[in-house]
Amino acid sequence: MRSSPVRIWLVLVVLTLATIAVGLPATAAPWLAGLVVLGLALAKGRLIVLDFLELQRAPRLWRGLVMAWLWGVTGLAVLAGLIPLLLAA
Amino acid sequence: MTQLDVEEHAATALPEAGWGPLAGLPGHPMMWVLIASELAVFGALIVAFGIAGALEPDLFAAGRARLDPLLGGINTLVLVTSGFLAAMAVDAADAGRRRTARLHVAGAIILGGLFVIVKLIEYQAKLAAGIGIETDRFFTLYFLVTGFHLLHVLLGMVILAAVAVTDADLRTGTAFWHMVDLVWVVLYPLVYLAG
Repeated sequence: MRSSPVRIWLVLVVLTLATIAVGLPATAAPWLAGLVVLGLALAKGRLIVLDFLELQRAPRLWRGLVMAWLWGVTGLAVLAGLIPLLLAA
Repeated sequence: MTQLDVEEHAATALPEAGWGPLAGLPGHPMMWVLIASELAVFGALIVAFGIAGALEPDLFAAGRARLDPLLGGINTLVLVTSGFLAAMAVDAADAGRRRTARLHVAGAIILGGLFVIVKLIEYQAKLAAGIGIETDRFFTLYFLVTGFHLLHVLLGMVILAAVAVTDADLRTGTAFWHMVDLVWVVLYPLVYLAG
């Protein structure tokens, strides 16, 4: 049996509100805010993949592929934000 | 075994029999072929957006400053709530409560419609401000990526309606809907907030 959809939804709402709270205000360290909101996206995506998509109980191959997609795209987004900073340093 | 029993058995047995690595997935295996191909395409778009942003960080920062991240955040809340209703629909269908399942699917579709309306309001505001797909590279990618996703929201609403009306396997339809939700959860910070 998967986790209660109500519990997953509440966590997703809280993580989304946290994303808005961190991402909206202007900040002196936008790269740090970017890192946090992408980390929150990873956490939200993991819940959607494992609980709503029900891959928690699916074959390991598919769970691994979709999780690899999620880690890959969020990791690349983090890298894309850091590269200009590293080049400028 | 009646003809109906035979057909039901064939429909439920399909994902388990003869599908090799696709066996054991929630919903029809062919839906997962579609989901895998969609994730590959969205992945390529996200990579393109990220590389373009790394090459022109100032242009992308200026572009993001002209977006409305609150509308994007509201749409994230709308879509995760719609996904929640889709998950509740599957649980209701598993418990044999078909009417409840249909009501939850209807709620998920209505929230999908709300996502579309909010997105169109956002596009309208951009067009009114003189911003279009040819304004610069950021807005070309912004309209391409979010517009492509919007088309998938519309397709997902059609799929949800189809599985609810025909009493087909709800998991097959909701799996596509959760994929659309998953992609948006990544697109929102990348397009509107990051950097």
